[in-house]
This record gives sequence, C-alpha cells and structure tokens, in this order.
Amino acid sequence: MAGGARFSRTLPYVVPGVAAGYLYYVASNFQFNERPGTLGPDFWPEAILALMIVTCLFKIVAELAARNDAAEIGGVLEEIIEESAGEHSAGSPPGAPLVESHPYLLIAGMALTAGYVMFIQSLGFFIATVLYLALFIVLGGYRRWGVVAAVSVAGTLLLLFFFMKVVYVSLPIGQVPFAAVTLFLMQVMGIR
Amino acid sequence: MEGTLHNLLIGFGHVFEPLNLLVLLVGIILGLLVAVLPGLTLVMGVVLALPFTYGMHVIPAIILLTAMYVSGTYAGAWTSILFRVPGEPMDVPLLWDGYTMARRGEAANALGWTLMSALGGGLVAAVVMVLLAQPIAKIALTFSTPEYFAILFFGLASVVSLGGATLVNALISLFAGLLIATVGVDDTYGTHRFTFNVPLLSDGIDYLVVMVGAYGLGEVFLRLEQGFKSAPLQAIDQIKTRLPRLREMLAFKGTFLRGTLTGIIVGLVPGAGATVASFLSYGIESQYGKRRQQMGSGIPEGIIAPQTAATSSVGGAIIPLVTLGIPGSGATAIILGAFLLHGLQPGPQVFATSSNIVYAMFASVFVGIIVMCVIGYFAIKVLVRVLDFPEVIVSAYVVMMCILGAFAARHNVIDVWLMVIFGILGYLFERFKFPITPLVLGVILGPLAESSFMTTMISHDNDWTIFFTRPVSGPLMVVAIITLVYPVLRHLRHKSKIRKAP
Repeated sequence: MAGGARFSRTLPYVVPGVAAGYLYYVASNFQFNERPGTLGPDFWPEAILALMIVTCLFKIVAELAARNDAAEIGGVLEEIIEESAGEHSAGSPPGAPLVESHPYLLIAGMALTAGYVMFIQSLGFFIATVLYLALFIVLGGYRRWGVVAAVSVAGTLLLLFFFMKVVYVSLPIGQVPFAAVTLFLMQVMGIR
Repeated sequence: MEGTLHNLLIGFGHVFEPLNLLVLLVGIILGLLVAVLPGLTLVMGVVLALPFTYGMHVIPAIILLTAMYVSGTYAGAWTSILFRVPGEPMDVPLLWDGYTMARRGEAANALGWTLMSALGGGLVAAVVMVLLAQPIAKIALTFSTPEYFAILFFGLASVVSLGGATLVNALISLFAGLLIATVGVDDTYGTHRFTFNVPLLSDGIDYLVVMVGAYGLGEVFLRLEQGFKSAPLQAIDQIKTRLPRLREMLAFKGTFLRGTLTGIIVGLVPGAGATVASFLSYGIESQYGKRRQQMGSGIPEGIIAPQTAATSSVGGAIIPLVTLGIPGSGATAIILGAFLLHGLQPGPQVFATSSNIVYAMFASVFVGIIVMCVIGYFAIKVLVRVLDFPEVIVSAYVVMMCILGAFAARHNVIDVWLMVIFGILGYLFERFKFPITPLVLGVILGPLAESSFMTTMISHDNDWTIFFTRPVSGPLMVVAIITLVYPVLRHLRHKSKIRKAP
C-alpha cells in the first residue's frame, strides 16, 4: 500500500486519538476539592480517554506498519452475517445498483439543515420548515413541483398543529415581521 | 404465579382501554410501515415516534413504542419475499428461501409461513418474558454496586464484541459514548466536566439527542449522499397470504422451537437484537435442521427460522430492560428513554413501584403480536404500496422529526445544534464503519457504570479486585472478559485454519 493511502487510512483514528489527548489534558485540570483516599471526578473520564488513546494508537501503528491484520478483528455479528451471506448469492438484491456517491448533495444537505437550525428562531417554525422541506425534497432530486409545495405546506401545518395544540411544545414563533405569519396560523388553528 | 397472572390481567385491562387500544393500533401500523420502507430502520422509527409520546401518559407512550418495536420485526419480510427488497437488515435471510419460494409461484405460502412464525415465536417469547421477568428482578434486588457494575461491564463488552466491522472501531465507538456521558456536573463533587462554559452542557448531553442525531439524521445524510431511490413495484394486486395448516406446522415444530429459543437468548444479550437473532437462527437451521442440505432452495424452514427468531427477540430484549434497567438493543434503549421521560427508572424495584406499567407493557406485546398478524393478513396489499412513496419525502420528514424530537426534549435550540452535530458524527461513523450501537449504549449506560464503579471504590477502599472476588460479580466479570476476547480468539482460529489449508 502506498504511504499516502496508508496515512489517509489512519486519519479516522488520528482525529479521535488527538481529540482524546486534548480532552485528557482538560480532564486532568478539572477543579475539585480532593478527598484523601477517594477517586476524584477526573478518574473515570481519564480512564476512558486513556483507553481510547491506546486503542487509536494501536490501530495507527498497525496501519503504518502494514500489520493491519491484527487490527481488523471483526465483531461477531459482522462475521455471522458475512458467513451466512457468503453462502448465498442472494445476499443483496439482484440488479441493485452499486452504491453511488454524491458528496455535493451531502454537503448541501448538511448546510441546509444547519441553516434551518440557524434561522428557525428568526423566521419562525412555519416559514423555516416550509422552506426547508421544499428545498430538501428538491435537493433530493424530486421535481413534481405541485407535490413538493403540497407536501411542504400541508405537512408543516400538520406538525405545527400537532406539536403546539396536542403535545404543547412551544415551537419558535419567529421575529418581526415573520412572527405575524406564525401568530396568524396559530389564531386560525385555535392555538393559544 | 397467581400474582403474575393477576397483574397480567390488569395489564390487559389497560391495553384494552379504548385510547390505549387505538395507540397500539397506530403503533402497529407505524411499525409495519417503517419495516416495509427500506429507508427507515426499526430503531429510527421508534426514535421518531418518541417526540409524540412527550404529551402522553406513560402507559400509552410505552404501548406505542412497544407496538412499533414488535411489528417492526415482521413487515420487512413481505418486501423481502415479494420484491427481493429487505426492509431491514434482519430480513436478508428471508431472501434466500422466501424469495425463492415466491419466484416458484408460492409467495402466498411464504407469506403464510412468515405470519405464523412471527405469531408463534412472538407469543412464546412473550410467555417466557412474563414468566422470567419477576424472578430475575427478585434476584437482581439482592445485587449491590459491584454486581451492577459487572452486569454493565458484561453488557458493554458484548456490545463491543458483537457489533461493528472491527473490534477496534467498536471499542472507539463505545469509549466515545462513555465520554459523552461524562459531560456535565459530576454528582459526587459537583465538578464541571467538559462543559466548556456552555450553561446547557452543565445538565449533560441528553442521550435522546445523541440517539436521534446518530440513528436518524446520520442515516438520512448517508442516504442523501447515495441518492434517494424508490423501488418499482410489480404485481401488487396478486398479493395474498395462505396460512399453513396445523399438520403442516407440526412438521416444522423443531424449527419453530430452535428459532424461538435462539431469538429469546439473543434478545437477552445486550447489543444483539433481531438482526443477530435472524442470521444466527438461519445459520443454526442450516447446520442442524433436518433438511439443512436444502436450505436456500426455497423451503419453509428458511423462513420459519429467521422470522421466529426476529420476533421472539423482542420478548427476550424486554427482560433486561425491565428487570435491570439495561436496554439490550437500540429499540429498547428508546423505550427506556420513554420510561425515564416519565420519571420511571426500570430496574428490580420497578415491580414494586410501577408493576401496572410493566404488565401493561407485557400485555401490549401479546395483543400487539396478534393485532400485527391480523393486520398483516388483511392489509398487506395496502401496506406494501408505501414502497411507491418517494424516499426523499420520507427522509425530509425524518429530519423534521429528528429536529422536533431534539427541540421538544428541553425546548432549547442548543439541543437541536447538538443533534445536528451528532447527526454528522453518526454519518461519519457509518461512513468509516464505526458502529453506532456501542456509542449510544455507552451514552445510556455510562452514568450507571460510573456511579456503580465509583460507589464500589468508595465502599471498598479502592480495591478493584472486589469485582472479581464476589460470588456473582466475579463470574460475570470473567464472562465479560471472555466475551471481549472471543473475537480475537475467533480471528486467531480462522487464521490458523487458513494457514493449515493446502
């Protein structure tokens, strides 16, 4: 295996390993009044972090030394499934397409979701949710505009009614001028 | 025994109250729909139903989630058999014989065997659940903190040992979960741990936020990356179920029994759920069944074995949840969440404090299985049409439910941010083959494990050998260590086999 590829395979273990190292440092600086003969509140997290660091290091060393065999010990479940599936050709649906990858869709979906959370307080639940649902459905490749509009608006109204009227969850109303829309809908639905 | 029957009857009384019965019906239908849709997993479905229970009383809330859990183990078989589209991973073994039967024109028979397997396996497991729960709880009442820690250690060890592409990844996932559980103010010293001056973090990270994000949002992100698809349906009008005759069923009593036993035992083990039960049972039938040579060629045993095990694992998994407060699977972890949301802590005391709720849950398993089979028999044609529904629309609403679920827990947008972060983490975990179940069970069981460990240390002068010297905790710790080491031994044996092969 090329050095670059090997290094990139270690990344999923370097990141948690480094994070664990930093958190270990944080844990070792917890402020508390020590009681003689008693384990402090830092003991448990430090123990977990130490185990995590050791596990990550083991995997990184195994990858870099190209002795990945030892680090590839599978979970029993995975092996049971692999063994069973291996004996049958129909393990996956026939003609099933190879797994595609659309990283831009993923990034756009994550950004859209983060944007929704960011703007829900100012736009209010109704406007933010209608926009989010419509954009998400379009982003996912669905192009029947009438259905998109109906599903987004009707679904949001239903959610608004259920959560505010039935289970009494106080959803964000939004800020002026958007709050007027939510308040109007609440009035129509008899939500106080 | 008489007391148990009496309590169970009271439980049935609760379930047959009109509102609770309606909730059960809704739960069964939702569970069936979730199981049919390949984009939604059983655990995800139960997670998404959780926000709807916030405003409910505890009994209907538990009935709703239990009903979804029960029926979620059944309907995925339909699409496996009819369209070769497994609704859930647990339904993959049903492709091998079920779909082969359908291709031979015996789809109605295959669906009949599935229904009777779910019914038989589920009901027998429910009886075992009722009979075992109270005695186990009585034994658990005698446990002290070292025993509790040993049980938790065994639970976490088995989660790591069973789950995940690699042991290392499962361990990292578990440690991450245990660490997340330490965020907040420490109970003993009042120390702020990993709160980074964020006031909301002082209360800790709600494990529901972790579960909703990692299981729900993470899965949607993964599907978004792969591109949403809907399965084209064919010949839906010809779908019907032909129930096997009693004589036919008696011919397969051994398979029914093996499948049910496997399901119950696997359900009892933390970390192993319906999927393990289904695959393991198929494997056992392939090795020990009368017609093992013909497995995979479209014989009823290939349907009975996985389906009885999958449905009977529900009864098994509810036992540790109720008696020890330890969820054995993702779905039972969410049901535990519903208990906690309503101020109830499952565990050995639960039979003394809230036996009506526990027995209502037990009764809902019985009624749920029967209702599920009745609906399955009559409404299969209608329910499988949901496959025609665009996956992207379902996913958009899954995200909405995740967001609302996280928000409704504490009415705080920071929880929604945390949920999104855990959604991204869940996606990364899936992408890099880190299993999510150890993460979630680590978050849930972490506080219990820490408090039982720390209390034991305080009570026994920091002598850690106490875990190994007590009559109950000692063997449990040894079994837990063996469980943890087992994948390594399995790997070494496999390697030596390869080396010896010519």
